[in-house]
Amino acid sequence: MTRYTLSHRTAYRYGRSVDLASHLLHLSPRVVPGQVVRQAGITVLPAEGQRRDGQDHFGNGVTWLFLGTPHDAFEVTLEAQVEVDFPPPPPADETLPWEEVRAAALRPEGWEAAEFALPSAMAPAERAAGVYAAESFPPGRPIMAGLRELCSRIRRDFAFKAGVTTISTPVSQVLAQRAGVCQDFAHLMIAGLRALGLPARYVSGYVRTRPPPGQKRRQGADQSHAWVGAWMGPQHGWVDLDPTNDLVVSDEHLLLGWGRDFGDVSPVTGILLGGGRQKLTVGVDLIAE
Amino acid sequence: MVDGRGQVRTHWRGLLGAFSSLGYPAVVERGRRLDRAFEEEGVATVLADSASRTRRPWRCDPVPLILSAREFATLQSGLAQRARLLAAMLDDLYGPQSLLSEGVLPATLVFGNPHFLRPCRDPGPPSFPRLTFYGADLLRGPDGVWRVLADRCGGANGVGFAAENRNLLARVLPEAFRAVQVRSLRPFFDTWLDSLQSLAPSGVDNPRLALLTPGAKQETWLEHLFLSRELGLELVETGDLTVRDGHVYLKTLRGLRRVDVILRRVKGEKSDPLEFDGGGGVPGLMQTMRDGAVRVVNVLGSMLAEMPGAAPYLPACARALLHEELELQGLETLWMGDPASRARVEAAPEAWRLRSAFDPGESTPLGALEVFSEKGSAAPWMFAATRPLPPSGAPRLVGPGLEPAPVVLRMFLARDAMGNWQAMPGGLAHLLEGGGAIAGPPPRRGTAKDVWVLAEDEDDIVGPAMPRGARLDIRRSSGDLPSRVADDLYWLGRYVERLDAAARLLRALLARLLRGAAMPREIAEIKTLARCLHAAGVIEAEAAASPADGKALPRALLAAAGPGGALLGLLEAVERPQVAVRDRLTHDMWAAFAHLIQEGRARLVLGVEGVDALSQAVTAIIRFCATLSGIAAENMVRGGAWMFLDLGRRIERATGTARNLAHALDQPPQRLEAGLRLALEICDSALTYRARYLAAVQPAPVLDLVLADPGNPRALAFQLTAVSERLAEIAGAEDTLAATAASLAARPQALVDQVLVAPDMDAAAAALPAALHALEAETAALSDAVARRYVSHVRTHMLGESESGTAD
Repeated sequence: MTRYTLSHRTAYRYGRSVDLASHLLHLSPRVVPGQVVRQAGITVLPAEGQRRDGQDHFGNGVTWLFLGTPHDAFEVTLEAQVEVDFPPPPPADETLPWEEVRAAALRPEGWEAAEFALPSAMAPAERAAGVYAAESFPPGRPIMAGLRELCSRIRRDFAFKAGVTTISTPVSQVLAQRAGVCQDFAHLMIAGLRALGLPARYVSGYVRTRPPPGQKRRQGADQSHAWVGAWMGPQHGWVDLDPTNDLVVSDEHLLLGWGRDFGDVSPVTGILLGGGRQKLTVGVDLIAE
Repeated sequence: MVDGRGQVRTHWRGLLGAFSSLGYPAVVERGRRLDRAFEEEGVATVLADSASRTRRPWRCDPVPLILSAREFATLQSGLAQRARLLAAMLDDLYGPQSLLSEGVLPATLVFGNPHFLRPCRDPGPPSFPRLTFYGADLLRGPDGVWRVLADRCGGANGVGFAAENRNLLARVLPEAFRAVQVRSLRPFFDTWLDSLQSLAPSGVDNPRLALLTPGAKQETWLEHLFLSRELGLELVETGDLTVRDGHVYLKTLRGLRRVDVILRRVKGEKSDPLEFDGGGGVPGLMQTMRDGAVRVVNVLGSMLAEMPGAAPYLPACARALLHEELELQGLETLWMGDPASRARVEAAPEAWRLRSAFDPGESTPLGALEVFSEKGSAAPWMFAATRPLPPSGAPRLVGPGLEPAPVVLRMFLARDAMGNWQAMPGGLAHLLEGGGAIAGPPPRRGTAKDVWVLAEDEDDIVGPAMPRGARLDIRRSSGDLPSRVADDLYWLGRYVERLDAAARLLRALLARLLRGAAMPREIAEIKTLARCLHAAGVIEAEAAASPADGKALPRALLAAAGPGGALLGLLEAVERPQVAVRDRLTHDMWAAFAHLIQEGRARLVLGVEGVDALSQAVTAIIRFCATLSGIAAENMVRGGAWMFLDLGRRIERATGTARNLAHALDQPPQRLEAGLRLALEICDSALTYRARYLAAVQPAPVLDLVLADPGNPRALAFQLTAVSERLAEIAGAEDTLAATAASLAARPQALVDQVLVAPDMDAAAAALPAALHALEAETAALSDAVARRYVSHVRTHMLGESESGTAD
């Protein structure tokens, strides 16, 4: 078990005053088996305005903000204390052959997983992604074995390079250029699994980073992270895998929520009236005790 | 019409009798009148096919589709049950999803459905009905049984057109309505309105209702316009609404006005950009709905219930949710996501037609299985297959006689304030032409038919006797005019005036060209008028500077009337805002506008043939504009709509008059008299002048008449005074813009006074052009200030995307 103290600050400065803004935040650590949220709070500047908290379709915590007074800056900070200890995955040879997982997702017993086997805007049923993923899923292979191998192959075949992709870079391009960031690898793996008929979801959160040997930890140097939830059938349910780090999620990750792709769980979005040019600063600190 | 034994069905006898006594040639003539009535309503204009830019008129067959009282009762009962079922399905699918967890409905049909709007999911019990309006497309088979072809739970368009068809048919064919007891549509609209009012959030006494339309650029606009009139709802676009402090408000000239119930005709995913990626909408609308501070009808996400792919599972859903068997059959439909169904269709592809599993409107013609094997083999779950039914015919008018033609019937139901579903005793039918699609969207293609439901004695019930809600306070102001509408009216006023002014200058110039063999005085007048036309943007500078007796000038004038010319451009500029403010214009006003645009275009087409024809064309345009002014003056209440129309018109005429007079008076001293005569002509004041002063043309009296006379509606002072009055009416007498206008309005008198006291009147008059150009510029600046304050629109944009057009 690892106990984390998290701080995630998102700050916008506007070139001109914003007269009216509405925001949608997916910024609450989700309570799930393996993750205990000791404390979590979102503070907003400007403080005036309306706030509503609720849940989205996927069960993630959501916050709506409506700021009706003119403001030049907007700041959202999540501060939380979370204990993480995700259970280890079942041994690979105890899991179902992947074809049976696919079939189960189409049966009533798999109704909740069925949603994640379907293509979505940012993780479409990309043929090429399916061809790439299929190599790890020869007939009859237990699902967990295939997932582990696919995860390792992505780590091996793709270079982590910031700046070569944006939020809207399609999976096909990531596949062609063999480079991207965590979000791209998650979308690629999801698209590949979906092309095979396997349910897979996008998980948003944070990962523990360690400073290079001999250096001190820089403040705010951590980042939002993304990985993949994959379905192993009605008995074993979901397992989280991190293709960027080739890991099965255990106690290095802190989870916010999940959806079909990034679009469902984007941490901070909004619609503005006014504002001119915008300048964004993001700082994340994930400190393990 | 004819039963199995070749006998005329009894419920057709009354109508056929009426037709025989009228005589079929007369019926044909009534059909033509019906076409013309739609044309006058401008229905053709708005249904313009944007791709080919042709104008297809809306056609309505004068022969209605008749439903017997018994037939209607069966449909009413079956459709009411279906509406209850679809409402219960929406409650379940946006709530606990027991249909999915119990395997009654395949999850893929919901989760793969683009109309399943995830932000609308709410696991709690529904706080108000998700479905309160429902439409169904029906097809009658050879066995005489009506079967459901498609469900409409999103917009269910066509109800406005149904009302319009009925109104116009009753006008052109009153004999038929006398011969047959037809049930009136009005009680249905009363019930519906009552139901909408009852949906208002609790604690709201006099709820404000609005119909939310995607706007005049969409082909559904007329439908929404007719419907808003029928129900008496404010017609608004998403840009007219804003969410503040947890409520939805309409942006009006006098500030924000709360909206309580929204009859939605905008797609759910285009209703709130904060929660959907469909683009556009009112940020925060969804959350305001969740809070219960506004009711949206039908709720966002209701289109989910339309999915044709659910058809095979509906009987099971009815048993699970209602514990009932379905009364009304649908066309036999299979969902291609089910392997067994797919195998059935693939074994006999010729017997099936593919359609989207999610959109009832989309269907693919027969033999489209190739499409399926390409796209569908990867995602068969996106498709459904329907077994086509040879539809039975209903009589239509062909030549001077009746012939059977296949029809699709769309019926509408509203959930009344007591929670019972009521069917409109009527509907919208359309002829299936070409026999291709099983269900094309009716309003675009083909010919419509009115639908008559025959009355039985016990049917003579009317709607709620008294309107609900508190007593209305008397209101005399129209300050609630939405800002966008003010914008359109303002520009409508300006463009009509600009067109009128251009036509007047052209007429004056053409008259001189037509007289031929010009005298030097006339040559000077021609050159002055040409300069005015150039300043008004009608002709190019080279043409204006070309010799008055040369060929270049007439050529430029004819080109101004031709394609791409300034006059056609002005007609189009009038048409754009005029279409958008249609709901603010009376029928006569609208017809006058439509006539101006249609006739203006037709005349200009002829006008390019020569100077004489062009002269006739511009004269016609001047008359149309005068008719419009007359109707506006006599028929429009002096409220917001009229104020902005008049404001636009007066500001435009003030700038134009100042400019033209400056050009007319800009003459060498020996030609000043000619300039003064021209000034009188431009201001349509020659007759008045002659009556007052006989023939002697002198600067002071002329200038007094065209500049300062408060009683001359073409004088400059008259325009500026009117501008100042309108601005004061809109914003109060202390308003700064009104004060600016008032000070401008005093200036023409000051100019005339200067000339009067000058020792040399002629010299003083010759100094006027500079002063008039200055006044023109100040008026233009005032107009910009008015536009900035009342009519400029601000767009929202996304966090992370800088505001477009921002320099810093």
